[in-house]
Amino acid sequence: MEIGEKEAVQEFEVLSFVVGDQEMAFDVDYVEIVIDVADITPVPKSKPMIKGIINLRGRIVPIIDLADVLGSYVDESQYESIVVIKYNDIEAGFMVGTVKGVLRASTNELESISSLERYGEKSRGLIKKGNRLVVYLDVTKIIDEIAGEE
Amino acid sequence: MMRDEYLSVFIDETKEAIQNMNDILLKLEQDMEDMEAINELFRILHTLKGMAGTMEFNTMMTLCHRMENLLDEIRNGRMKLTEDIIDRLFKGADILEQMLNSIEEGESDELEEVDVDSLIKEFEGFLEGKSVGSPKAEEKKEETKEEAEEEKEEGEETSIPIEITDELVHVIKEAKEKGYESYYVRVTLDEGTQLKAARMYLVFHKIEDLGGEILRTVPPVEDIEDEKFDLDVDLVVIAKQSAEELSGAIGSVTDVARVVVRPFDPEKELEKRKKKEEEKKKEEEKKEEAKKPEAHIHHKDDKKKRKITQTVRVDIEKLDTLMNLMGELVIARSRIVETLKKYSIKEVDESLAQLSRITLDLQNIVMKIRMVPIAYVFNRFPRMVRDLAKQMNKEVDFIIKGEDTELDRTFVEEIGDPLLHLLRNAIDHGIESKEERIAKGKPPKGTIILSARHEGNNVVIEIVDDGRGIDRDKVIKKAVERGLIDEARAMMLPDDKVFELIFLPGFSTKDEVTEISGRGVGMDVVKNVVESLNGSVSIESQKDKGTKVTIRLPLTLAIIQALLVKVKDFVYAIPIATIDSTLKITKEDIQVVQDQEVVVIRQEVVPIIKLWEALGIPHDEEFQSMNVVIIKMGNRKYGIVVDTLIGQDDIVIKSLGKLFSDVKEFSGGAVLGDGSIALILDVANLMM
Repeated sequence: MEIGEKEAVQEFEVLSFVVGDQEMAFDVDYVEIVIDVADITPVPKSKPMIKGIINLRGRIVPIIDLADVLGSYVDESQYESIVVIKYNDIEAGFMVGTVKGVLRASTNELESISSLERYGEKSRGLIKKGNRLVVYLDVTKIIDEIAGEE
Repeated sequence: MMRDEYLSVFIDETKEAIQNMNDILLKLEQDMEDMEAINELFRILHTLKGMAGTMEFNTMMTLCHRMENLLDEIRNGRMKLTEDIIDRLFKGADILEQMLNSIEEGESDELEEVDVDSLIKEFEGFLEGKSVGSPKAEEKKEETKEEAEEEKEEGEETSIPIEITDELVHVIKEAKEKGYESYYVRVTLDEGTQLKAARMYLVFHKIEDLGGEILRTVPPVEDIEDEKFDLDVDLVVIAKQSAEELSGAIGSVTDVARVVVRPFDPEKELEKRKKKEEEKKKEEEKKEEAKKPEAHIHHKDDKKKRKITQTVRVDIEKLDTLMNLMGELVIARSRIVETLKKYSIKEVDESLAQLSRITLDLQNIVMKIRMVPIAYVFNRFPRMVRDLAKQMNKEVDFIIKGEDTELDRTFVEEIGDPLLHLLRNAIDHGIESKEERIAKGKPPKGTIILSARHEGNNVVIEIVDDGRGIDRDKVIKKAVERGLIDEARAMMLPDDKVFELIFLPGFSTKDEVTEISGRGVGMDVVKNVVESLNGSVSIESQKDKGTKVTIRLPLTLAIIQALLVKVKDFVYAIPIATIDSTLKITKEDIQVVQDQEVVVIRQEVVPIIKLWEALGIPHDEEFQSMNVVIIKMGNRKYGIVVDTLIGQDDIVIKSLGKLFSDVKEFSGGAVLGDGSIALILDVANLMM
């Protein structure tokens, strides 16, 4: 997507974290809470990217291996945190490495590059911030994809 | 605005009224001479008319009014009830319902797509055909007669229940100088008037419209607004109009039964009062006594009527919150019990036992609050069956049994549509035409029985018809056509398996799609809904004898008793309701019959599955002795082999959410006392 000069520059906030050796981010609007990796109860026969469920204050929340969703592999021992998001009545936790914090970015720092094609619709582009390159993930597309898969 | 406050009351009352109308019309259809029913219908329409008038839904009011007039003619014997008229009345009820729906959606009672006027004209047509004199005029005449009587009575009785203060005397004097007359006004509302405060508001409004002013009310205005009055309200009014004009204006307000207007002179009144104080007292006492029994009868009647629907309306959300909190409480209790197990403290044990008891009681009550009689769903079916049967030109006796059976509110909401579909099927596919039935030597009228009952921890709903039954060959033919099964296999299947094919998506046996049962919602939808409620549905059918569809639902959704078992490091819950027994077996007890592992328990061969195998959990060790949970499903038993039995506990079922919609082995999860999660086994699906 080419961002035209006439188009108004919009600012947005993302929560950035590390998966494997790549920095990635979710739109903060969808993020509910970040927690430490907790005991996960596996759910047999569920989709492979779903690692199981946790008890989040009495609610049962599915935990998703983000690397698996994105088609790569990260050893589970590298995961430190769980980013819990809520979208479309679905609450889900994504296992991630170190959480870096909230990042303010604007649309003119956002760029789509061909190397991101492997993420397809799951990515909204690449945020360039100084020498940081952050893959801006589309939570809604990721959830829709997992929910839609039979 | 005043109106909004009453809108929800109006909607509820009107819904009830329309339901009652339908019930009575059905009764009348059976017995057209049932005077009591005609009177009841008249009363309902009268009340409805009044309510619609107050809320300024004029089209609705007009329609009610026409229907009311027609019924008045009938109940006075000037006209005879015919099937034609009943049909129109049914139609009227339908339109009223549509209007109500439209009102509920925040719109008016004007329906664009429905020609209300023509129906109103039809009612007028009925009247013109037979009407003797205008009923309205007669009604009026009667009213005025009553009024006159009342006035006479009031004239004799000098008691005006208004406290006369100096201030009042002063104000009236001043008003008189400005050409205002002062009046004492007594407004009496119709017995059984709904929204009394709203009516009085209209009365006040009318008086103010005429330029009059209300100086005093008994009871005070605040009480009137809160409906703290019986049927009478006394007013002191100043106005330039004559007593007749005033009386006429107030009398035009709906539901005002009587208006008495008399000139009011506070000074004279005071004198009179003094004189007759003694007499008055006696007179009043006498009057009171004389009046009482009559009033009493009315009240009794009222009460009897109301008791049927005596309910407290509670916001559904509050009920759900209560249920959730209840769930949290159960978890918290388990957690305390768990923690204290480590230290054996006698004193705590006792209070803990009490806490457990209270929690259990509370839980039962909350559960009961959520229970509603299935009549809520069943009620609308008689009317629907009647209409469908008529449309299909079939004669059907529709019998409802066990409508008092209670079940969880959630089920009541969900189960309506599936039942409707099954009833449609029974009428459309099941019951034969009259000629066909006679040819088969069956009674010409078909019978459909809809019943509900409790059975253990289940609610069983059955729909039985004595129609042509399901044609096994036709089902197979269709299933093969649709590519749902191959013919060779289908031929081998027992009847009940063949009938199960009907539940597959995209199946419809009727060759041509009819307006009634071919709407694209198939039996698969019925099955889906029932299963989403943790229930099951089955079909039995015999050719030319009829079909029976049985729906089984659990009593409640939220909290169940479960046996907790362990496989490897994880805990699973098995609903107690499904468990027959538990036992220990050794490796040698397991035999293999037709590739299926079985154990023999009391001469019974019970197939077993190892839970870790069924769930695909790596499990290397084979124990010498194993725990088996015996599950009972229908009349079959299965065994589930687990590592350890932990014990019984109350668990709160929580949905696993959409991301696990493909996992059929579990019906949900439960948070245990220690904060860990147990997955709840869906035994039926696990055995498949």
